[in-house]
Amino acid sequence: MGKFLTVFDSASSALAAAFAMTVGISAAAVAGGILLGLVIGLALTYGGRVLALPFRAVVDIVRGTPVLVLILASYYMPAGLGVSPGPVTAGVAALTIFCAAHIAETLRGALLAIPAAQTDAARAIGLTFGKTLGYVLLPQALRQIAPNLVNTAVEIVKASSLLSAIGVGELLLTTQEIIGRSFLTMEFYALVGLLYLAVNLSISAGGWWLEHRFRLR
Amino acid sequence: MDAILTIKGLEKSFGAHRILAGVALDVFPSDVVSIIGASGSGKTTLLRCVDLLEEFQGGEIRLDSEMLGYRISGSQRRRLSGRELARQRARIGMVFQSYNLFPHLTALRNVMLGLTKVRGLPNAEARGRAEHWLDRVGLADRRDRYPSALSGGQQQRVAIARALAMEPRLLLLDEVTSALDPELVQEVLLTVRSLAEAGTTMLIVTHEMRFARQVSTRTVFMDAGAIVESGRPEDLFGAPKTKRLADFLANVSH
Repeated sequence: MGKFLTVFDSASSALAAAFAMTVGISAAAVAGGILLGLVIGLALTYGGRVLALPFRAVVDIVRGTPVLVLILASYYMPAGLGVSPGPVTAGVAALTIFCAAHIAETLRGALLAIPAAQTDAARAIGLTFGKTLGYVLLPQALRQIAPNLVNTAVEIVKASSLLSAIGVGELLLTTQEIIGRSFLTMEFYALVGLLYLAVNLSISAGGWWLEHRFRLR
Repeated sequence: MDAILTIKGLEKSFGAHRILAGVALDVFPSDVVSIIGASGSGKTTLLRCVDLLEEFQGGEIRLDSEMLGYRISGSQRRRLSGRELARQRARIGMVFQSYNLFPHLTALRNVMLGLTKVRGLPNAEARGRAEHWLDRVGLADRRDRYPSALSGGQQQRVAIARALAMEPRLLLLDEVTSALDPELVQEVLLTVRSLAEAGTTMLIVTHEMRFARQVSTRTVFMDAGAIVESGRPEDLFGAPKTKRLADFLANVSH
């Protein structure tokens, strides 16, 4: 225990920076993923064949590929084209696309599940398609997919640990470096596990609060 | 007096199935026209065409002499753009069989939505008007309830308030009591009756024969996508001229 405290003390600023990195990467990927996912979800649902088909292909490819492969691909493949994004940029891009693909698909499902009668009622009072979407369909669909958004955010936080494979100094990589120097395997894996758990429990709590704040039906 | 609504030679098919076969109908200010007929006779489709929720292949519908839904340029007949359709729809109110309230909005917000987002009224004014109409249908005390916390009859009255708040030239009612429990039918019918007495121009599809007879200024009997008989309700119900109407009336009264 004494040794753990000494090592922890000397590594605490590195751990804090790594924790911030993990939270930052995840937040960026979730925020970007939600925005991109909404756009792709709308294109899938209302885009017609021309718009829906390319997005359908992207979503299916992303959802059918392991996240680690996406991360490695987005880091190493651009290099083949002469572009070299840093590991953080490449990693966030991969997580964003992964997040967007999942949200797009759930949004499409939620929009299609809204009865056509809702659209009739919206049109009947003179709402255009855009306003029908903005004030009638999306508010209902977003409430419906809220639990899914929380799940996806938790998945992204966990998947961010895979960025250690391309050398991003996030929680897992930093912890492994500390263990490499101190050999305190048990203690620091337990600690990193607790830190991930803390982030994810906070997300779940936030989601729970939002669901009750914006009640459904 | 000029007609508010003029329908001429309306034709509508779904694929090879002909739903409306040349319907013609005029509705004048303060008319309450009830449309009766067996299910599948095209009554609901007729209302949906008037509210521009369905496209139609032939004939024309005019509201205050403005052609609805289509533009004729030369020999071409073109469906109007979404924006133009929305503008025309805002002048016609429609109430549906299954109420179709927006479940994520309170009763008040349901009524306000069109006022703020279509009419562009400021929030305070829209709220005042919405409260007025909710009061008109007897639901002032339920304005902050979500639809799920209202009975079917109350939901339908909110739907009526939502349509009326837009101050439509014409109100379309599509079997508005058909989804209601029997004990809730009366409150909705009373609301519709009070609108009729206040001079609201209405086109009503209904299965409530007694109501149609009492409330309407004119009754129209449809069969197989066409209007078979039309006239004063006491004439249609009292002395049907066609065998089809006589058979229909015999069937619905058991």
